[in-house]
Amino acid sequence: MRIVRYLGLRLALLVPTLLGVVVLSFVLVRVLPGDPLAAFVTPSTTSEDIEKIRQRLGLDVSMWEQFTTYVGGLFRGDLGTSIQSGSPITTELSTRFGPTMELVVISVVISLLLALVLGVWSALRANRPEDHVIRVGSLVGTALPEFWLGLILIAVFYKTLHWFPAPSGRVDRGVDLTSITGAEGFDALLAGNLTALSSALAHLVLPVATIVIGISASLMRHVRASAIEILASPTWRTAQAHGVRRGALLRGYLLRGTAARLPTLVAIVLGNVLGGVVLVEYVFSWQGMGQWLLRGLLYRDYPVIQAGVLISAVVFAVAYLVADLVQALLDPRVKL
Amino acid sequence: MSAGPLLDVRGLDVRIPVRDGTVHALRGVDLRVEPGEVVGLVGESGGGKSMLASAVIGMLPANAVTQGEVLFRGADVLTMTREELLHHRGHGAAMCFQHARAALEPMRQVRKQLADRLRAHRHLGGQGVHDESRRLLTEVGITDLDRVLAAFPHELSGGMAQRVMIALALACAPGLLLADEPTTGLDVTLTADVLGLLRRLATEEGRGVLLISHDIAAAALVCDRIVVLRAGEVVEMGPTRQVIDTPRDDYTRELLAAVPDIDRPLPPVDHRSTAAAPVVTLQDVHVHYRARFGRTGHHALRGVSLEVHAGTTVGIVGESGSGKTTLARMLLGLVAPSAGRASVAGTDLSRLDRASRRRLSRSVQMVFQDPLGALDPRRTVLDAITEPLIPLGLSNAERQERATAVLRRTGLDDRFLSRYPHQLSGGQAQRVGIARALVADPDLLVFDEPTSALDVTVQAQILDLIRDLAADTARAQVFVSHDLATVRSFCDRVVVVYLGEIVEEGTVAEVFESPRHAYTKSLLAAAPRLGGRLVDNPTAREETTS
Repeated sequence: MRIVRYLGLRLALLVPTLLGVVVLSFVLVRVLPGDPLAAFVTPSTTSEDIEKIRQRLGLDVSMWEQFTTYVGGLFRGDLGTSIQSGSPITTELSTRFGPTMELVVISVVISLLLALVLGVWSALRANRPEDHVIRVGSLVGTALPEFWLGLILIAVFYKTLHWFPAPSGRVDRGVDLTSITGAEGFDALLAGNLTALSSALAHLVLPVATIVIGISASLMRHVRASAIEILASPTWRTAQAHGVRRGALLRGYLLRGTAARLPTLVAIVLGNVLGGVVLVEYVFSWQGMGQWLLRGLLYRDYPVIQAGVLISAVVFAVAYLVADLVQALLDPRVKL
Repeated sequence: MSAGPLLDVRGLDVRIPVRDGTVHALRGVDLRVEPGEVVGLVGESGGGKSMLASAVIGMLPANAVTQGEVLFRGADVLTMTREELLHHRGHGAAMCFQHARAALEPMRQVRKQLADRLRAHRHLGGQGVHDESRRLLTEVGITDLDRVLAAFPHELSGGMAQRVMIALALACAPGLLLADEPTTGLDVTLTADVLGLLRRLATEEGRGVLLISHDIAAAALVCDRIVVLRAGEVVEMGPTRQVIDTPRDDYTRELLAAVPDIDRPLPPVDHRSTAAAPVVTLQDVHVHYRARFGRTGHHALRGVSLEVHAGTTVGIVGESGSGKTTLARMLLGLVAPSAGRASVAGTDLSRLDRASRRRLSRSVQMVFQDPLGALDPRRTVLDAITEPLIPLGLSNAERQERATAVLRRTGLDDRFLSRYPHQLSGGQAQRVGIARALVADPDLLVFDEPTSALDVTVQAQILDLIRDLAADTARAQVFVSHDLATVRSFCDRVVVVYLGEIVEEGTVAEVFESPRHAYTKSLLAAAPRLGGRLVDNPTAREETTS
């Protein structure tokens, strides 16, 4: 099977990629100015105390030894221990990775659907008033800073209209839900817990909307441009001249064609959202990976930074792999 | 069906408003097509042929201003409502578009594209679609039904795509079939097949066929009547024999004179000695394209030996998939020979490093098939022509001087230097392409079907130019073509390629007058001749995909 062979090849390529990421992130955090011990130092700390802390954190040995310990841990699934909290990274990550991915993936999927529908609709009405409204609207959406937009949405839809819950977490207090993946909406769905599900979804609406408004414009413009290109192509003219039914024409010829040009862009957008999600997490008190990673960076919490970079790299690599596969599924001319 | 003509265009006048004024695309055109009749609509591009076809299927530009009537079975297409048009398009009149490969939806299997049409117009489902699809493909002369049905357009050869295009149009069960240049880019044998198919559809199934072509010789093979269109006006119409034998209009005579006639050679080009050292030497050359992941590949050239001397022109003839393009690409150093010895201007092609590749790129130049596609749309003619001079380190003034000189040589004046490709006609663009190839004084000039994308009249002019260039003594030329007639007028030697092998080689006189190989004979026999008549061949020839 060609696709299995291709998948195997790509996954094998993941190994050197991740190795490079591991080495780079390990070296770079140590080259950066700043010392993780600074957080433990008070006016009364003696240099002996500092040495002790350094020993306890395993930072007293050579960089090479630290590296072999770290890589050895990676093979056992141990990402190290957070300097700040003292708890294992894997534990911390398990409660934070899910919520962030839930936010990011739902936002990107909604943006994608929105972009496809609006973009194609806009292209079918190119240069008419509806088209202009959509284009200008999406441009304004992109131009709004996310943290500000988030605050506005909170002010309007929570404080004034009371449509959505307060930005203070991911489910209402008192909702009984055992965590499986950490992504509350998904967990509630798995557990079949409807109360929890509706609560989780209600909490998701505003942060997701903030991200969607920010990113759908670029996707939509891309869809619109592709659709306009298809509408002007000899292919479209032929199908139209042969009187193919409108439904088949839109689905088989227009939507399919525009969708096939999207996967790579979606993967790029997903990466951008993952990088920028920290602002939204802050505004909505979303205890996710972004906030955790930012704090780790500020306090030079080496293991946290390393783990964060590694996780991002894996998400990116998987996103691009999926994009390439989807592309090949949609467009028969793409050879894997 | 009511009596009377299937299509009756009366006094059709079309004006398209543009930024500065109006384009008068059609001027009082009258045209009739009866059921069972093939009518040829001939003329140069820009003459309004496609505009007329668009009017017949109700797809004129939205801002077009029309007068007159386009009556289809008595109903005026120009005043049809949206619903009526949906029924008319396809079921009434179906169009086979030019460049079939590009007109088919690239992401949809042939099976589905057929089903789209069968569902819309014949209201078939499931088994009905399946059976009818197979019947239609058989009808257009396709035998490996399962493969073609499951294929995506890019997996079809040009000839196969053209047949599928016709099958798609037929799936709409049209009363009238419009075929817009259905044979562009096809070699002579395929051209004969496709034209024969159109004739059969009219004779046996009683459909009307409107064949649009710039090639009056091809149209003459199958048409009952010919209508000559020039600048939006009908300048002549009548029964085919009458138009061909006793043309009344000067323009018709011009079109007829431009047809390269295989039986009537021009006097040979002034010959030079062939004692000069060979520019191209090929000895038992093979080219094997390996598929990805090392599966079975394609053996494109199988033991080709050839010499081309300075001052001579060699014509390489073969049908699509014969390996002639591979041969041309190899001479440019784009494909490496997998076995055998090959050298061009003293450069060994099998061991190209960076230095020898640079040397090769200076000594070999190519003139491409699609003249407009080969020019960068964002750069002027001057930029395009002077590009090969950049590595020579000339000053701006020197470059411009050489560009002007070489442009004059190709018959254009220096006003063209500042133009952009979209401001050029096809013929002018090809002249620029030739100028670009000439400017750095290459040792070898390779022409890859330089006229197959051009109108017949323009083609004649370009061939004249190439014939003129062939008289230069310093250069060797290779002219790749699927059309024997174009090769005859100026080549010294002709090489016929078939399935990757040279099956015949000799001087023009030898090959044309006493062909030895059966394939050469069939090529000569299939070449369109004025006044010829296509023999209807019900068992269409099986075609191989390239």
